[in-house]
Amino acid sequence: MDLLNQIIRQPVDPDYALAAERGNDPSRGRWTLGVVAMVIGALFAVAALQTTRAAPALQSERAELISRVQAAEREQDELRGRVTSLTQEIATLRTAALGDDDAARGVESQINTLDPVVGNVAVTGPGVLIVVDDSPSAAADARDRVLDIDLQVLANGLWEAGAEAISINGHRLSGLTAIRSAGDAITVDYRSLTRPYRVEAIGDVRTLQARFVESSAGAWWNDLAQNRQMRYEISDVKQLDLAADPGIVLRHARRAAS
Amino acid sequence: MIPLIGLLSGIVLGIVLEPSIPQALQPYLPIAIVAAMDALFGAFRAYLEGTFTDRVFVVSFISNVLIAAAIVYVGDQIGVGSQLATGVVVVLGIRIFTNAAAIRRALFHA
Repeated sequence: MDLLNQIIRQPVDPDYALAAERGNDPSRGRWTLGVVAMVIGALFAVAALQTTRAAPALQSERAELISRVQAAEREQDELRGRVTSLTQEIATLRTAALGDDDAARGVESQINTLDPVVGNVAVTGPGVLIVVDDSPSAAADARDRVLDIDLQVLANGLWEAGAEAISINGHRLSGLTAIRSAGDAITVDYRSLTRPYRVEAIGDVRTLQARFVESSAGAWWNDLAQNRQMRYEISDVKQLDLAADPGIVLRHARRAAS
Repeated sequence: MIPLIGLLSGIVLGIVLEPSIPQALQPYLPIAIVAAMDALFGAFRAYLEGTFTDRVFVVSFISNVLIAAAIVYVGDQIGVGSQLATGVVVVLGIRIFTNAAAIRRALFHA
């Protein structure tokens, strides 16, 4: 504190007082003063110019990064589209390869039962729609934001309540889907979500909502809605269209013993 | 009068000529400017108190700028450059504010 006190008590260079006491020729060195003033002015101007010059460069760098991210996302979308068409091709080829005997028909029906459950095909049906979002005070308190674990609990609760297919903001969930946070955003299948989060689940409308509300996930979200003022709206919907999960690929294939 | 003309012509020169500062010196420019502002305010206060001397001003300006830049340079070499820069800005900022308050009191008697 002594140092700060000294700075405050003696803000002017003490040499001024010393030199004034000694008394010196005021006419001497006028031009050096002018030169120094000029240097100071030039310093100000150059620094201000440089800062204003640097701003657009930073801006364009940022824009460049954003466009690169968008290009990568477009490419990912394209690749996902290709996965979907290739999956369809596989299905066609599989049907052709299976032939038309009894065993083949048994395998076929097994595939047809399993496909919607694992998320391999698009499904349509009645279900519930749950919309959740950060609470209005989320900017002030990070605890008022929806976290990845909240969505995980929500999805698991819906599975537990008997949901047959779930999607979050249009991303279909399967057994391989990861819900996690990356930076400030929550990602599903490594695609970041934008708020609010719309969770759609197809299942038996007579029991799905009731069973979900009674489950531990329902209690978890009730708590978030009441104590953290998060948005949490649950409603029955007559028809939901869920796309297939493009993340599912054929990993293992073997020729049927014939 | 001479310093004012010098200051204005310096600003005009800087804008017109756009001298490019070497990349290595760029981090020290803001610190040099804060040191220059400190010297300016100190000089103006001394002028109002009637003790202003050109020579002291020139010497204090140059030494302030060099020392401030040197502190930040040494800090950069040992990895605490930004902290030392903050320290320099805080100390010089206190002095600038104190001097500005004294100048205000002397000029406006308020």
